[in-house]
Amino acid sequence: MDLQPQMLHQTELEKAKGAVRAIRNGPMVLQLYMDICAKCGTCAKQCHVSQGDPNSYANPAIRSDRLRRLYNAERSVLSKILRSAGFTNGDGLTEANLQSWAKDFYSCSGCRRCAKFCPLGIDNSVITRKARSILHSIGLTPRKICAIQQSDARVGNGEGVNAPTATEIAEFLEGELLEEHAIPIRIPIDRKADVLLVTSAGEILSYPETLMGYAAFFHSAGIDWTLSSHAFDAANYGLFTGDDAHMRLKNKRLHDASIDLGVKKLVIGECGHAYRVASQIGGKNFWGKDIPYEITSIFILAAEVIRRRGVKLDSTRNPMVVTYHDPCNYARSTGLTEEPREVLRACAGEFREMSPNRDNNWCCGGGGGLAVLDSSEGVRGMDSFYEYRMTRTGKKKLEQVDQTGAAYVAAPCFNCKRQIEQLMKYHQREVAVGSVFDLVGKAIVLRG
Amino acid sequence: MVVEEIVCIFMPCLTAAVFLAGIVSRIKNWNRAGAARLPLFPTPATSREKWKRILLESLTFEQLSDGNRSLWIGTSVFHLFLFMVLIGHIMLISNFTLLWKYLGFENGRGDKIGSAIGGTAGLILLASAIYLLIRRFASVRVREISGVEDYASIVLILAVVISGDFVRFSSNFDPASVREFCSGLVGLRITAIPRDPCFLLHLFLAQVLIMYIPFSKFLHIPGVFYTKSVLYQS
Repeated sequence: MDLQPQMLHQTELEKAKGAVRAIRNGPMVLQLYMDICAKCGTCAKQCHVSQGDPNSYANPAIRSDRLRRLYNAERSVLSKILRSAGFTNGDGLTEANLQSWAKDFYSCSGCRRCAKFCPLGIDNSVITRKARSILHSIGLTPRKICAIQQSDARVGNGEGVNAPTATEIAEFLEGELLEEHAIPIRIPIDRKADVLLVTSAGEILSYPETLMGYAAFFHSAGIDWTLSSHAFDAANYGLFTGDDAHMRLKNKRLHDASIDLGVKKLVIGECGHAYRVASQIGGKNFWGKDIPYEITSIFILAAEVIRRRGVKLDSTRNPMVVTYHDPCNYARSTGLTEEPREVLRACAGEFREMSPNRDNNWCCGGGGGLAVLDSSEGVRGMDSFYEYRMTRTGKKKLEQVDQTGAAYVAAPCFNCKRQIEQLMKYHQREVAVGSVFDLVGKAIVLRG
Repeated sequence: MVVEEIVCIFMPCLTAAVFLAGIVSRIKNWNRAGAARLPLFPTPATSREKWKRILLESLTFEQLSDGNRSLWIGTSVFHLFLFMVLIGHIMLISNFTLLWKYLGFENGRGDKIGSAIGGTAGLILLASAIYLLIRRFASVRVREISGVEDYASIVLILAVVISGDFVRFSSNFDPASVREFCSGLVGLRITAIPRDPCFLLHLFLAQVLIMYIPFSKFLHIPGVFYTKSVLYQS
């Protein structure tokens, strides 16, 4: 399987050009990013992709120049004369160029580490998302990501799990919980409750221990909670594909479910971008009015419960050295850095920080939806995108994990978790990778 | 001579018009476009803290001190001395006789002190601009992102600085006559045009640079305040 075997027609090229021209109408930052980059090269020093891949196409400024050049060319004759000659990459909007856009903008994980270090405050992730939205509008989104989003639009989650199956999964996990803790712990579905828990569907299917951890925690803390059979998936691929309509659709689903179930809190599980979309783009900012429920993260809730000793945790049950990976969408995009650590420290024997950490943390290499890309689609000179993630984009994270000497990496985000787990296996490290709430589930001391 | 009149009378009007129209239209565009909510954490709690941070970062290039140490030193020196040199140019409009008197210097010493400080600053500025040009092709990651515009910008700055240094260090440089011309220009009066060819060249190049600002990456000077105010919204 090579590139999308799709021919682009003149109408699609015109559509793309129109989208580039529309940057004139906003957002403001995108215009500024087009105008002010001084090409100082600092982003390349701070980007995990360009640190792992010496080729020029991995340089964030070159990637962004692809859009910048078109923007200037579409704007005015004067700009064309003065600025177009100044760009190093891409020659207008042709089919071949757009195909290579797909490769470029799906190797940037949108982690915003460059924005942290850019002296001019340029956030390349905004440029990446704009380019991806143009690609999406003409059908050039990588197939795997497109399929997940389509399934999501159809059944409400990216894994294609329908409501009866979701109920079956919950029942099965209740059985597992009974076996593990020897007491009945419920995973309620579609009940009126105080708390609606939503998390990544991928996490529920691939890392069910995490959901079991949530259930044991809620049980022990005496919190009245529920899942929704048709809105349990908080993952929002609209953020990755640049499709604002899909982002709105997903936000509306969570909002509607919260209203229907009459909850006081919409709690986002261990999913980085879901929490970012729900808290920064969704909620009040999206509905533009006071909503009758609060949007929060499982970590904020849990840290509060732990502070007032609402649950009993036995950290000796997790005796290994544990380190914490800050997902970009937590640390840089929502400021959630301390609460996960509080929870982790309460249930792990020895905790070691990665360096750098918090808002300076290196991306795992799988952010922005990249972690689900495995095939050779859109990859330059590599066997597969999986290889690219393992040997290029994940290089910095591997170094960081190695330095800690940890036996367990807690990565509270499905993207990060999948990427780091594959990274450890690929490079034959004896390091387990999982969620924070896997450890909570193990450490929790339940009273009958 | 026609060239002198073009550079000293016609061109300043053009420069002012192009610069103002360009920068106003660009800033109007920025203000017109819808804002997006894209905070980059940790964000400051209050608007006061936000602007304190933006100002501090814009003046110290704080991010580069962690992210790109060698550039931090080079660009700090460049911008600092550029600022000093620009401030020094105010001496060409007014002599600040009262200030020098207040500081206890006799009449005429002002130009000598200005000459010493300005001359040194001009040379350091030259050195730092050369550094910025050299790193553009010496470092692979910077070379690959550099296009015509990037080289043109730094070469133009170098040309302005070199011609300025020539004016400063040329033996027939007469601050008094230049001051008479410049203060006249600011007051929209036509006075005797200085005949120094170095001065004419410097004035010409400086005006080209000023006109180029609204159409080039030099827009980062006003732009940085906009981008950072979006990143640090609370």
